[in-house]
Amino acid sequence: MLSALILIPIIGALAVILWPGNITAFTAKLVSGLTIGLTLVGVVFLATQFDITTPGFQFEELLPWVEPLGLSYRLGLDGLSLPLLAVNSLLGVVAIYISDPHLHRPRLYYALILLINGAVAGAFLSANLLLFFIFYELELIPLYLLIAIWGGARRGYAATKFLIYTALSGILILGAFLGLVWLSGNTSFDYDSGLATALPLAQQITLLVALLIGFGIKVPLFPFHTWLPDAHVEASTPVSVLLAGVLLKLGTYGLVRFGLGLFPDAWMALAPLMATWAVISVLYGSLAAIAQTDMKKMVAYSSIGHMGYVLLAAAASTPLSIVGTVFQMVSHGLISGLLFLLVGVVYHTTGTRDLTVLRGLLNPERGLPFVGSLMILGVMASAGIPGMVGFISEFLVFRGSFLIFPVQTLLCMVGSGLTAVYFLLLVNRAFFGRLAVAPPSASPQLDVDLPGVTWRDRWPALALAGMIVVFGVQPNWMARWIEHTTLALHEPYQGFVQASTLRLAPLNESLVADTLVTETSIPAVVDASVLP
Amino acid sequence: MTQTLPKPASVHPLEPFIDRLLSADALLPHSETNVLEVVGILKSYGVVLDAYSKNLIYIADDQFLVLFPFFKYFDGEVSVGKLLKHWWHDRINFEYAEYCMKAMLWHGGGKMDEYLDSEEFLDLARKAATAKTKANPLVRSINAVFPDFLPEQVRQLAYYSALGQFWRVMSDLFIDLSDAYDAGTVKTIPEVVAFIKAGLVAAASNPITYRVEIKGQTYDILPKSAGLTFLMDVAVPYVEAVFFRGTPFLGTVSYNAQADQIPAEQGRFQYGALYADPIPVGGAGIPPTLLMQDMRHFLPDYLIEFYLASGRGLDDVRVKICQSFQKSMFCVTSASLQGLLPYAADTPNPQEQVANRTFLAAWMDRLMTSRLDVVQL
Amino acid sequence: MNQMLVETSWLLPVYGLFGVVLALPWSMGFIHRTGPRPAAYINIVMTLLAFVHGLLVFQAIWNQGSQELIFSWFKFADLHLELAFDISVLNLGALELITFLSLLAQVFALGYLEKDWALARFYSLMGFFEAAMSGLVLSGSLFVSYSLLEMLTLSTYLLVGFWYAQPLVVTAARDAFLTKRIGDVLLLMGVVALAAMAGSLNFNDLYEWVKTENLSPLVGTLLGLALIAGPIGKCAQFPLHLWLDEAMEGPNPASILRNSVVVTCGAYVLIRLQPIVVLSPVTLGVLIALGSLTAIGGSLVALAQIDLKRTLSYSTSAYLGLVFVAVGTEWPGVAITLLLTHAVAKALLFMGVGSIITTTTSQNLTEMGGLWSRMPATTLAFVIGSLGMVGILPLGCFWGLRMGVDFLSQSSPLLALVFLLVNGLTALNLTRVFRLVFLGQSQPKTRRAPEVPWPMAVPMVSLSIVTLLVPVTMARLSLLPPVEYLNLPVTALMVAFGVAGVALGAVIPLSKSLSRSRNRPVRILQDLLAYDFYTERLYANTVVAAVGGLSRFSNWFDRYVVDGLVNAVGLASLLGGESLKYSISGQSQLYLFTIMAGVGLIGVFMTWSLW
Repeated sequence: MLSALILIPIIGALAVILWPGNITAFTAKLVSGLTIGLTLVGVVFLATQFDITTPGFQFEELLPWVEPLGLSYRLGLDGLSLPLLAVNSLLGVVAIYISDPHLHRPRLYYALILLINGAVAGAFLSANLLLFFIFYELELIPLYLLIAIWGGARRGYAATKFLIYTALSGILILGAFLGLVWLSGNTSFDYDSGLATALPLAQQITLLVALLIGFGIKVPLFPFHTWLPDAHVEASTPVSVLLAGVLLKLGTYGLVRFGLGLFPDAWMALAPLMATWAVISVLYGSLAAIAQTDMKKMVAYSSIGHMGYVLLAAAASTPLSIVGTVFQMVSHGLISGLLFLLVGVVYHTTGTRDLTVLRGLLNPERGLPFVGSLMILGVMASAGIPGMVGFISEFLVFRGSFLIFPVQTLLCMVGSGLTAVYFLLLVNRAFFGRLAVAPPSASPQLDVDLPGVTWRDRWPALALAGMIVVFGVQPNWMARWIEHTTLALHEPYQGFVQASTLRLAPLNESLVADTLVTETSIPAVVDASVLP
Repeated sequence: MTQTLPKPASVHPLEPFIDRLLSADALLPHSETNVLEVVGILKSYGVVLDAYSKNLIYIADDQFLVLFPFFKYFDGEVSVGKLLKHWWHDRINFEYAEYCMKAMLWHGGGKMDEYLDSEEFLDLARKAATAKTKANPLVRSINAVFPDFLPEQVRQLAYYSALGQFWRVMSDLFIDLSDAYDAGTVKTIPEVVAFIKAGLVAAASNPITYRVEIKGQTYDILPKSAGLTFLMDVAVPYVEAVFFRGTPFLGTVSYNAQADQIPAEQGRFQYGALYADPIPVGGAGIPPTLLMQDMRHFLPDYLIEFYLASGRGLDDVRVKICQSFQKSMFCVTSASLQGLLPYAADTPNPQEQVANRTFLAAWMDRLMTSRLDVVQL
Repeated sequence: MNQMLVETSWLLPVYGLFGVVLALPWSMGFIHRTGPRPAAYINIVMTLLAFVHGLLVFQAIWNQGSQELIFSWFKFADLHLELAFDISVLNLGALELITFLSLLAQVFALGYLEKDWALARFYSLMGFFEAAMSGLVLSGSLFVSYSLLEMLTLSTYLLVGFWYAQPLVVTAARDAFLTKRIGDVLLLMGVVALAAMAGSLNFNDLYEWVKTENLSPLVGTLLGLALIAGPIGKCAQFPLHLWLDEAMEGPNPASILRNSVVVTCGAYVLIRLQPIVVLSPVTLGVLIALGSLTAIGGSLVALAQIDLKRTLSYSTSAYLGLVFVAVGTEWPGVAITLLLTHAVAKALLFMGVGSIITTTTSQNLTEMGGLWSRMPATTLAFVIGSLGMVGILPLGCFWGLRMGVDFLSQSSPLLALVFLLVNGLTALNLTRVFRLVFLGQSQPKTRRAPEVPWPMAVPMVSLSIVTLLVPVTMARLSLLPPVEYLNLPVTALMVAFGVAGVALGAVIPLSKSLSRSRNRPVRILQDLLAYDFYTERLYANTVVAAVGGLSRFSNWFDRYVVDGLVNAVGLASLLGGESLKYSISGQSQLYLFTIMAGVGLIGVFMTWSLW
């Protein structure tokens, strides 16, 4: 069943490539849309079959492959990967839906998107380190080509930069995986949370640092982030949606799954540094976003800021903060997907993304009022206004991390305030005021006359906006899938969390006692809280 | 070699337009689409003005000093169906007519404004008000404490009536114009302007009067003896108040006193129809949206086709209507200015020529910042 | 029946949201051939429903006593977020005030915005606004309160931004959101900290927790300061007060609510937080200091304003400053009485302002005069509203101010003096404004000023009557002290300050307060007050400059240091990029080949590294 999620898109890709005779852009789009739609149905079906009380992998599939290498085809689904898998399929459908119906070389384009979709699904499903790595690398080339062929003016530069960075990330990750397995004397690369426990702390730390940098490039975290704004600016809208909504999640997913999941001792040792790193990334990304005048770049830098929360929460590794990482990944996927989508519509309609010239797009007759309304919703969600999924995600992250890293958490919350600053600047500049898409001119000009936005362009944004609100109002519908996996991931960190809260002892004595009680009584709490 | 002699003062930056007006041309250049737009929009404007005018006169005559005029937009026919339509807001936006009326009242100007401040008017207004409020001791006592309360309302009602009478003439004129266009007798913008000018001149000395009937007795408010006429006492103040000055739109201008965006003197206002920016129409705080909305229901087919053929079709029709409307208002302004010229436009007398030019130059000064340059495009 | 009404009282805030949803077809422009008024009627009916429902619940509770409604919202590990509502007499009283004023403001808007085609959007926002406020006063949990405060921030932003095409609105909406957001983020820090330390965020649990907890002074102080930051922003207290001034760019019906009940909501949260805040004497001190500063400063700044709306909005800040002082000195009774009575009187004043703006097309006090004889309803509304604001006649605010002066005169006479001064200065300012607007010669813009039509006049007159009846209502609810407890000397002193203010306002030469003085020190003082102690410039030179500078630095650093370094290192590999560029113009088969080659290379690489 799990293999189907990987195979369907790949078969779809082959079908598009090998389609007999001439394939029209529309047929290619339809075929690939249906293919990813099928995987979405598959994910939903899996979700209905998913046992939420099992913390480990479910629906496991195991095929011995290259046994001497320790590479086996082992797939599994747990609460960490299920939501991300759903986001992958969802945004895949969206990306195909919004693709330009008249683009050139439709065969290749759609095949590449399908390939990315399959590879990402494979990465999320892999229960073998090497297998993960293969899928992780497999997604790289199609994305590179998507930017390099269908990108903007500086696409060559951006694509190459992306390729180099991500290749470097792959090498570091591969190195860490190889080192981990060889040093621990294992023969199999199968995922096992006890893999690293026998290693000396120094080796663990070295391996973890490699992993951190490797995945940190992908997330991306400061100072490894500069490929991202360039890639986004040059990529076409559907690719940006995929890149921000799905591909960056591979980095954070990797951090949680392989860093937090495999190296508890080293993780604990490095956690304070990571939390501080998260703060730097959050504040740096947010501040840089404020200075941007290209809407797309602004959204790209905001991604850097918002993905930093995931690192903070992962570093804290309390049950709440771990569930916070998943929430934040999903919520960022939906919100940044929406924002890139809308920026794409603005660009498509007005021919510019320059915040120094765009004005008054909310204008009801000649502007883009619907897009503007959704944009306001999107930026408010991103700024963490309650009622939308961004709020509960950030709340979980902050609340989960506060007791462990109070100062870092508070500083990250400043980043949440800065989000409001730059996104408000975006909305106020581009959407408020008198409608204009060019700098004011001294000679008399005809009134602005922009093409209209059709419902075709509105539906996907509306759907994403709907999900942002639904999960914001009813977060239980997401939390229930993740809960037990989270608790299992947290298990090795119980002592760490206790110790960290003990450091706060001078501040508040009975608090520690409370926390200890809470920590040790988690299973009881959990049983009582099996959600409707 | 300083040859920076000042230009002769008589050459106005808008001199070409002065020439055009004197040679029976218009401020709006002639083109086939311009004629189509102007006539088409004036047709629908005529239909809307007909409704506005009837309603204004109805309010002035039948809702005289009614404290709670719930049904003032019903023209006296109240039925469930009409009420439901009213609540569904499926109706003409008479608020716009009142907005224009209030703009005229507030800006004043002309003999009518002077008359409303005279003792004679005050006497007449008090008589009518007393008759109307005979059975209402509350309002009477309020008026006793606040003595200008009811007279001020009567002044407003006088403007209701006057604007209603003015628009009656204009509505008929615009419909006639449309008929002439359909019949093929009017084909160019100068012909459109000449047609309007002829209509205005013909009605110029129509008397403007207002009397109300209270309990079977007729009370004069604007008696014939006041000598108020169509052109000078209503049309000209109307053009001044609505075309030129207007009122600042809340949606585009800040009322903040410290920001100083609104001039202290009303004479310096430039918020009228000739200056208005069509782009924000349809948005918040732009009262003319109501007029554009009303006109959209009565567009002639050829104009709808014309709109459908460009840009967003009918999705931004209110902006398009506003653009056409502005063009048509430049035609009406051309006609008015030509009608108001102190001497015949083709006078051979040089002194009269100078006077004509001086007269037009003063108006051109005010049009410097208008949308005159944009409608040329 | 009664019980059912009480149990369904969670609906009270939801009515407003219903209105929002039902108005969507118009506000989103789906229905555009007919006008937007049905959306307005729907929202008015919804507000009326909320009002009536609230009234019935109020009666039921009056006999039964308070009830708590708790719904579990989100539960995960040790986090349990509940939606808790306290259905108490006080909360319902506040809710009734909110829905009543909202109802009047919405009817008023039918007239004020009759020429506005975006009516549907306005009413949607009002519904949202009202929902957030209603929820806020009923809230029994800090989590709910925080969430709704954010909703309020958002709806303020959208309402101030209603006329988004107007340049000053653009900055006003931005500043309103950001200033409030500063307070909100600080409050969120407090909320997160409390959630982590105390577990539950329900007020009742927090009160219990506070009693047993030994917080270190530092933590207590930081926590207290974070918690009061939200209300400081919401109530437009120094230094987060600037937004209220700018928010006057928004439509007047929204200003009616903003200056009356919205600020009240912020203070209401503060009052709910008081039992937690009292842990920290520093926080209480800050409350008192900021409150007094804003009260006196706001009253003085109001005196120098030439804008009709702004002069009243600064007085709002001033009165909320008094509320802060009352909370800081632990007299919540004073705070609540002042809040509720101020809300009624200020709403009435702002209705009067709305009708003046409609009639004169101006907000500039220097351009007005002589309106009184033409506009009876407006004149009366302004007079009654003013009297309701100050402690001269035993109308609304008289009682709150009196209580404040009475209680404080024993413990801290200086603070009592703050109350007295605000009373006097407000009386002075309102007299000044009254003279400028209603008395004197009429000016060109006030020459033709017929009284406003009934949709505006009716709410205004109704609220005038209500303002007159406030003391009667208070007596009925036994909120007035028995006569023998009236501290007569103190009350007399307060009235004396009020009367002195009126007298001074009646005799000061008006021209001087408007045109800039030729006397240099006086002029400096005038400008200082007229421009609100140059707070805007203060912001621009501190916070805004700092954030702007940092962001520009980050951007520069990003472009030239981080990226520059990378590009320098990556120069060699970019050559590879060049060769790839050539292949971009090739056939798709070539790309396939590239993919295959890439995947193959990875395979080779893997096996190679295994060796």
